[in-house]
Amino acid sequence: MEQIKLPTGEKLWQSQLPNGLSVFVLPKPGFRRTYAVISTHYGSIDSQFRREGEQVLSVPPGIAHFLEHKLFEEEEGSVFDRFADLGASVNAFTSSTQTSYLFSTTENWQEALIQLIEFVNKPYLTDENVEKEKGIIEQELRMYADHPQRRVYSALLEGLYQRNPIRLDIGGTVESVREITKEQLYDCYYTFYQPGNMALAIAGDVEPKEAHSLIAEHYPEWSHYSGPVERFFPTEPKEVAKDWSEEEMAISRPQYLLGFKHDPIWRGEEILRQQLIMAIAWRLITARSSQHFNELYDKELVSDSFGASFSCHPQFAYSVIGTDTDDPERLHDELTRIIHELRREKLCPTELDRLKRSLYGGHLASYDSFEYAANRVISNHFNQIPSARFLPLLSSITAEQVTAVFTDLLDWNRSSVSILRVKG
Amino acid sequence: MNFVQCNLGAGVRLHLCETDKFKSLTCKMFIQQDLNEEHATSTALIPLVLQRGSRQFPSVAQIARELEYLYAASLGMDVLKLGERQILEFHFQMVDPSLLPDSEEHLERGLRTFWGIAADPAVENGRFNETFFSQEKANLRRELEGILNNKHAYAMTRFVQLMCAGEPFAIHKYGDLQSLAKLENEGVYRHYQSLIRSYPLDIFLVGTNLDVIANLLAQLISEREQVVDLSLPKGVDVAKLRYFCEGTDVQQSILVLGYRTNRTYLDDGYYPLLVANGILGEFPHSKLFVNVREKASLAYYVGSNVDGSKGLLTISAGIDWREREQALAIIKQQVEQLRQGDFSQAELEQTKVGMINSMISMADNPSSLIVRNLMGVVHGDLRSIDTVVEQIRAVEQRDVVEAAEQLVLDTTYILGPQGEVGGTNGTN
Repeated sequence: MEQIKLPTGEKLWQSQLPNGLSVFVLPKPGFRRTYAVISTHYGSIDSQFRREGEQVLSVPPGIAHFLEHKLFEEEEGSVFDRFADLGASVNAFTSSTQTSYLFSTTENWQEALIQLIEFVNKPYLTDENVEKEKGIIEQELRMYADHPQRRVYSALLEGLYQRNPIRLDIGGTVESVREITKEQLYDCYYTFYQPGNMALAIAGDVEPKEAHSLIAEHYPEWSHYSGPVERFFPTEPKEVAKDWSEEEMAISRPQYLLGFKHDPIWRGEEILRQQLIMAIAWRLITARSSQHFNELYDKELVSDSFGASFSCHPQFAYSVIGTDTDDPERLHDELTRIIHELRREKLCPTELDRLKRSLYGGHLASYDSFEYAANRVISNHFNQIPSARFLPLLSSITAEQVTAVFTDLLDWNRSSVSILRVKG
Repeated sequence: MNFVQCNLGAGVRLHLCETDKFKSLTCKMFIQQDLNEEHATSTALIPLVLQRGSRQFPSVAQIARELEYLYAASLGMDVLKLGERQILEFHFQMVDPSLLPDSEEHLERGLRTFWGIAADPAVENGRFNETFFSQEKANLRRELEGILNNKHAYAMTRFVQLMCAGEPFAIHKYGDLQSLAKLENEGVYRHYQSLIRSYPLDIFLVGTNLDVIANLLAQLISEREQVVDLSLPKGVDVAKLRYFCEGTDVQQSILVLGYRTNRTYLDDGYYPLLVANGILGEFPHSKLFVNVREKASLAYYVGSNVDGSKGLLTISAGIDWREREQALAIIKQQVEQLRQGDFSQAELEQTKVGMINSMISMADNPSSLIVRNLMGVVHGDLRSIDTVVEQIRAVEQRDVVEAAEQLVLDTTYILGPQGEVGGTNGTN
């Protein structure tokens, strides 16, 4: 097992089983709780793929999320019951690139870990139980449809992307979910749940060697397809699909989002570096310490929800900034002006240093959250991002790199605005 | 992971939990008062105004720069509602100074900043800075209007207003728009001063070297006056079942049922009530999840929870409007089964170990470790995690049935695509 020293002084233990599964252990002495998560590097965007020597398969949007729901199904009894017997709580979530199954417990972590490994490796699908799930997922999608932040964000992604499946909702649509069949679910399962495409992370007061042997002993043999999976993504044009889109909803105040599409050029360590550069760049506009934020706040154009993000993956990269506001047009003009000004403004060394301190402190504190730390270890692993390089990369960032975000990266010809207006 | 208590003056209690488990030092302060129409909105405005600037750091930017310099120290304020108390919450967290270079200096600097923002605001001529006051009044208005944006939160707010009309519990933790319009700077500032000086104040600290911090805080606390006496909710008898249906523009309908529990935190049967709620709707193995979601496919979320101070059990579910009668019938059937003792030993055991698991888990998060004590603070009866675990462990089937027998349905509410705006009253 390989040991990686973390910025907090803690150690992360990393290993790989002969079947290809990657295993991470983050020992947390003195903690009562143990958290474990198994993830497959497979999410909502992986809807076209080919196993070696076979035909290309295309599956309906929302299938990764559907499969996540269905893995909780068993021939007899229920997965929830088995964890409940142990006093453990179990859950799962799906993102655009990953599906994760997790538990948290204060007792019997070994037994809970064995149960987790077992249910993720034992799909039980029938035409009947697949049909039954459709009503539940439909209610989940309708709940999201009533959620204004989610609506305006979905509309933004549809505006930014013409063809990449990131433009579609993770859960699919009520219609696409209705199309999903048992056979398609099994195809996806036997393609993407092979151990070589998966990782397991555990955090808690556990002994790394014990955890490793327990996993090695109980991870079942994989007797299905095991080998490379070619994933197909439509070529995304440079241009956005729509530069402006509007919708209406019964809300109290309009919501505004501005997005920029980037070429997904970063890989590995460069993803982390660019994430840090973007975090600093966006803070120059949205942080409470920024002069620009305070001007916008005084003009009553932004609320406390004002924030920005950067999403970066080998298949897509985009930046988003936005808030709820009484006057989306005026806020748009102000942001245009501010981003323009930041091309010329020189970032002073004290400010850069202070923002770095803030990112560093936030990073240290993040290790107090098991969920966050363990999930990040896995997503970094899938994208080959070296977790332990955080501090040296942060230190190396220069004012010029931050300015380049405004001069080069935020390209107005590749931007899109999404507005949710007040109905009635 | 227990707290050691000491008094720092009239009505000021300090609770210390010395531990090196976390990477952070966490401090929370709570000032509690009775929830009432006269002051609720005024109290809600105070944290918004305070966070705009203190005497030492007179702007948001200056506060934020100081916090960034202190390696992302976080400082926040909010208003909480627990039963019929409204609680002003001040929160401060910074990376444990021992993990940082030049640590001693940072600790004192951080705490002084925190204290200054909470207790030494930007004041001019006996009132808050006028710009801060008027801007934050507008922000609170937007916040109150914005309750509408989260349909579940909106449904719960309307439900409580309708079910508990005339009781203090009906008041939203942020007050209401009518009272907000009438608020004036001087009045809110006077209310703030009286809160700081004469209402019960509880300070919680989790981290290392707490004696240094306790000494520092003791110097900062200003003079206190006589402490105001607070009250607890009174029991309510259900006169008749009420049914409300409200129409709005939604894709999903939200169904809410409210039961009076007739027992609260200070009663002997409190933990059996919590276990009854657990069997009914707190977990994925609970009756509501299994029967409404897994068996009937009617909902994605369905569950129940208890306000142990007010004595209220609430069930909520997101469903299709056309299936509301079916959902309602299945939900009521689950409560009935609980009353009949129609649940297995396994359901009881799973619920108890699940509750014990979440109780023990709180020891792993500094904020939960502190916030879980609020119920004890409000009722003047603090209970350690170990005590609560023992109480839950001791609950038996007949205790659960007794608790369930005391549940009385008071109000059913549905927010759906049809029905009248503002809600109609009828019988169930």
